[in-house]
Amino acid sequence: MNKIKVLFFATLRERAGTRSLDVDIPGDATVRALKDQLAAQHPNLSESLKAVLVTINREFAFDEAVIPRDAEIAIFPPVSGG
Amino acid sequence: MSLPTLFAITESELDLDALLAQITLESTGAAAIFTGIVRGITSRDDPHQTDFLEYEAYIPMAESKMKQVADEIRHQWPSVQGIAIVQRIGKLYPKTPTVLIACTAAHRDTGVFEAARYGIDRLKEIVPIWKKEVGSKGELWVEGDYFPKPGE
Repeated sequence: MNKIKVLFFATLRERAGTRSLDVDIPGDATVRALKDQLAAQHPNLSESLKAVLVTINREFAFDEAVIPRDAEIAIFPPVSGG
Repeated sequence: MSLPTLFAITESELDLDALLAQITLESTGAAAIFTGIVRGITSRDDPHQTDFLEYEAYIPMAESKMKQVADEIRHQWPSVQGIAIVQRIGKLYPKTPTVLIACTAAHRDTGVFEAARYGIDRLKEIVPIWKKEVGSKGELWVEGDYFPKPGE
């Protein structure tokens, strides 16, 4: 198992009701698998998870990426700074 | 000689003069400065009033993506001298500057206007900052529409 920290921002933070979660994922889990796991464990997130940006250790990551050990993951909507 | 690059997320008021001074060299003769401002009255598209915007950021990543934007500017406009990219977060009211992108150069015909324009456009694509608008339409997250590609 791999113990990771998942950070949420903006709409995802409000939906999750928390800024971060500690999550246990299988050692070979991909970003897609993590999203599926979160959607199953937190049904109120499942709709918002369909169009989100995901980062691994502060770089944008994509569905096929394998999540490294002790990764810092963040999940958020497209950005709107400025 | 190293060229000044500064980037920051702050809850403090943006001091445009102080930021400009930090990216001005002896050989600087031009600065293009963009600052975004909280718009209290929107008349275009969907007219409404805004009481305030509430900003949040994924601060460590936002700072590293701001550095990436500055690197991209330097790559495309090598004559740019100083670059400042600063985003204010927290609760910001109409008429308040929210963001500053400033580029300096020896002369105005060096691409310095385009460099600053690129900076704000790019910030709105890849720097993890969000804002919620509170006003006549209630509370509404402003959502971007850009999905970064691998390598961004």
